[in-house]
This record gives sequence, C-alpha cells and structure tokens, in this order.
Amino acid sequence: MFEAPVQKLIDELARLPGIGQKSAQRIAFHLLHVEETDARRLAEAVVEMRERVRLCARCFNVTDSEECSICRDLRRDPSAICVVERAQDVVVVERTHEFRGRYHVLGGAISPIEGVGPEQLRLRELIARIEPEGVTEVIVATNPTVEGDTTALYLARSLKPLGLTVTRLASGLPVGGDLDYADELTLGRALSGRREM
Amino acid sequence: MRLDWLQLTDVRAYQSLEVRPDPEVNVLVGDNGAGKTTVLEAIGYLASMKSFRRAPDASLIRDGAETAVIRGEFSKGEIRVRVEVEIPRTGRRRVLVNGKRPSTMASVAGEIPLVTFLPDDLDLIKRGPAYRREYLDDLVVSLRPAVAVDLQGYERAVRQRNALLRRDGRYADTMTLDVLDQRIAELGAIVLGLRLDLLERLGPVLSGLYAVLGDGPEQVAWIYERSHGGPIVGVSPRPDLGADLAAALAAARQTDLDRRTTTVGPHRDEIVLTLANRDVRTRASQGEQRSVALGLRVAAYDLLRERGDVPVLVLDDVFSELDEGRSRRLVDRLPEGQVFVSSAREDEVPVRGRRWQVTAGSITGVGEES
Ligand SMILES: [Zn+2]
Repeated sequence: MFEAPVQKLIDELARLPGIGQKSAQRIAFHLLHVEETDARRLAEAVVEMRERVRLCARCFNVTDSEECSICRDLRRDPSAICVVERAQDVVVVERTHEFRGRYHVLGGAISPIEGVGPEQLRLRELIARIEPEGVTEVIVATNPTVEGDTTALYLARSLKPLGLTVTRLASGLPVGGDLDYADELTLGRALSGRREM
Repeated sequence: MRLDWLQLTDVRAYQSLEVRPDPEVNVLVGDNGAGKTTVLEAIGYLASMKSFRRAPDASLIRDGAETAVIRGEFSKGEIRVRVEVEIPRTGRRRVLVNGKRPSTMASVAGEIPLVTFLPDDLDLIKRGPAYRREYLDDLVVSLRPAVAVDLQGYERAVRQRNALLRRDGRYADTMTLDVLDQRIAELGAIVLGLRLDLLERLGPVLSGLYAVLGDGPEQVAWIYERSHGGPIVGVSPRPDLGADLAAALAAARQTDLDRRTTTVGPHRDEIVLTLANRDVRTRASQGEQRSVALGLRVAAYDLLRERGDVPVLVLDDVFSELDEGRSRRLVDRLPEGQVFVSSAREDEVPVRGRRWQVTAGSITGVGEES
C-alpha cells in the first residue's frame, strides 16, 4: 500500500479498461513527477469531456450538441442506418469511407451472462426512427462475436416484419474479436459485400 | 516443432528458471513434489493455454507473488514462434505471440503442436463423457486451429442461453431464446461435423495402434451418441446435423425452461469406444483400457505429424503406471521429435537422453547422454 492519495489514484486507474495494477502504479508515479500544470490539464480534460460531451439525441453517438455531426450532415443518405454496438465503432466504420448513411448506437449487445437483454439496448429508439426518417435498409455492424451475431439475428427478426432490408457485414472480419480489430480495407470490403439476412 | 528456450518467473516453486532443453530427449528426474510436473505443465500451457492437470490459472502463481510468467521459444526449421503468458492474481491473463497480442485466444491454441501423456489418461476411458469430448475437441483445434473460434463460439452461445434460463426461467424472453437456438444449432452442427470427421480418421488409426500397443489385433471402433436424435456409427450417411439440433432444441424448450439449463446439444453428447464390439468403458479389462487410452494419445501424435508438424511430446510420469510390456512397446514407437519425460526414479525411464535433476525450485543438467 502507498500513501492514501497515491493509492486512491492507483485504484481508480486500475479500474480503467486495459490497465492492470502495474500500469496503474506506473501512471500514478509518472503523474506525481510531471509538472503540476500537466497533471492538472489531464484532470481538466476528463472533467470537460464529462461536462460537455453527451449522446446524440437521434443516434446516440457522442457529440457536443443536441445531434451529432453525422446526423446533422444533410448530404448523408437518410434511407440507410448502420447499427453498431458502441460509439467508438462509428469512427471505425467511418474510416472506411464506404458508408454514406447514418448510424445507430445500440449501447452493447445481447449478453445474458452480463445481464444485458434486448430491453437494455436502444432498440425501441431504433424502431422509432424507421418511419419518420424514411429508412429502407439497416446494416448490422455488430461485432463478429456470439453476442454480436445473436444481436444481429434479433434485429433481423424485429425489423424485417417492418418491410426493411436487413443486411449483415460480409465475412472476412476476424471472428471472435471486436470490430476495431479489422483493418480499414477488410472492414470496407465487408461493408460493400454485405449480405441480406 | 521443438522448444528451444523456456523461462519461468514465479510459477509455483520456481521464482526464476531458464532452461535450454535438448532438441531430442529430455528426462526430468526428481522427487515427487520437486516440480517436474510444473515444468511440463508450463510447456503444455504455452501450447494449449491451459494446465493439463486442469489446475486453475491462479494456482500456477508462486505463493507471495503477484504474477506468474511463462515464456518459451519454439522453432521448426527457419520458423520461430515465441509465446509469452502473464497470469496475474487479479485481472486478465495476457498472451503475446511473437511479441504481438493475438486477435483471439482461439488463434493461440493450435500454434504449437504438442501431445501430453499423463498418469491419469485412463480417465479418458473410465470417467464421464466430458473427458472424451474434451479429448476430441482439443485434437480438432490442434489439427485445425482456424476452427477453434467455432468451438469456443458454440460453448459461449450455450453459456449465454444457460445464463438467460437461469436468470429468468419460465419468463425468459422468447425471441432471445429463438435467436440463441438458431446460433447454437448453426455452431453445434459445425462442432458435431468436426468431431465426426475426426472420429472417421481416428477409427482405423486406433485399431492399428491397438494391434501394436495392446495385446491382440482387436478392432477399435466408435459410436457417437447424440444427446438428441439417434447415435451415429462409422461412416454411415450423415443426418442433417443442423436441422436435427434445431428441432431438438425446439422440442426441449419446455424442459429447458423448467430445468433452467440447455439439455441437448454437442455439450451433452457421449462418444463410446468399443473393442471387438464391447464398450471399453464398462466391458474391458484395466489392461485393455490402458492400451486404448495410450492409443488415443499416440493417435493424436500421429495425426498431428501427418499434418506435417512433428509435435513436442510430453510424458509426465507415465512409466510408473505402465507394465513393462506396454512401456517397452510405447518407447519403441517413440518418434524422432523432441520429448520431455519426467519420473521420480531414474531407472524407471526406459529411454536414453539428456538428464535433468529437478530439486525444489531449480533444474540442473546432469551431463550428456547417460
Ligand atoms: Zn447522431
């Protein structure tokens, strides 16, 4: 155990994804030795992000205004929605430059092990967008995992009765991993070769 | 494939250990509890990402230490594969293959071909179906690493379904169950197909081996008993595995809702081995069972070698369990690849090779060939 304020920071850091005890200690001691202004800037960046950034009222992507820049962009095709698990996946798909529609961030995938069922996802919000936005195709870009696949099947069953075309990314993605394990080229190909479910 | 270098840090009794094994036969000699098995277990871990003694990961960590680290460098001609595993007391295990984080754990298992013989290999025959399923699935993955993702996917999908059933019982969301069933049927059919493909290859190999390792030229065969639908025997025309499983899951829905678990599927199947049409598990002598178990391990070795990779062979204290005849016959069949043998008694090991003396927490080479 270290002095209480140091230990408190280590504990907080160690709760972050991908950071173990050792890394947490390294970061904490690093912050102890840098200029105070540098440490303060980090703390302020965290606070500012939490205060200013919120979720897009339409697609639940991160934004600093009511709606995100993609939803506000009038050149985007309103008839196609790409459904992703998390907001960071929007950036991953955007990098491919293969998709010109809008997005919908589900907020996860169906995983009873983690206590996540369809009711915990933003599914109702997605269905509510279909008619007013004139959506005709939903592209499901959930992760190529059991949870992502299950969610995709669930979406297909919920959306097809509404007369929508529901497609899934073509194979070729590294199976079992996250979407962001795929390089841009592979993901781009998967997008353009998507198949109807 | 062979192991050129092994380094352990805080693994059980070993605070720090570095060994450069012989490319051929290595014999680890030491008292029981000295740590011979730990070394073999560590080598096995690098290949299969689990302990062959079914020990939980945390039990590998030395008392008082925070993290166990196993590093090994394997080679096959020009190809070098470096595998590193860090097992922390809290948090997730970290794996690096050639310095890079693999995209999935599935792509690690199967990288290093390795076959282990254990004193309790008789469990493969005598204990429950889970042992035989695990044997088949491990071998499937070693032979075809790319399909590991399907096997793991199937297990995961069943765990998801069970979690839903356990939590919500009769009130479980029907559509979620429907899509999980669909996925389980798809993945389950793949798992079943892979197991049957392997069994078809394994049958003749096992019979051939029994003629050499056992006491007579008796036929070893298998019957795949599904937890649903009829048994599958030999190379008979295969039923539609996916459709059968989908129908079975639908039929078992009410039972599963009541019992809050998934009662049908490849995770509940049994593989019956027969010797001259007798069930080896219930109607064979201990000696016959021992020979079939040995045959299963040797068959794994032979199939891996057929693929073009000479596996690393690990024999953990097996000679103490075998009578002289079977020991002799096994040793006669020992291949040209790298071998690790452990034994409490030096004179019990009927093979020549580099001797290593193992005492609590350290290993010393004892000269060259003895
Ligand atoms: Zn938006």
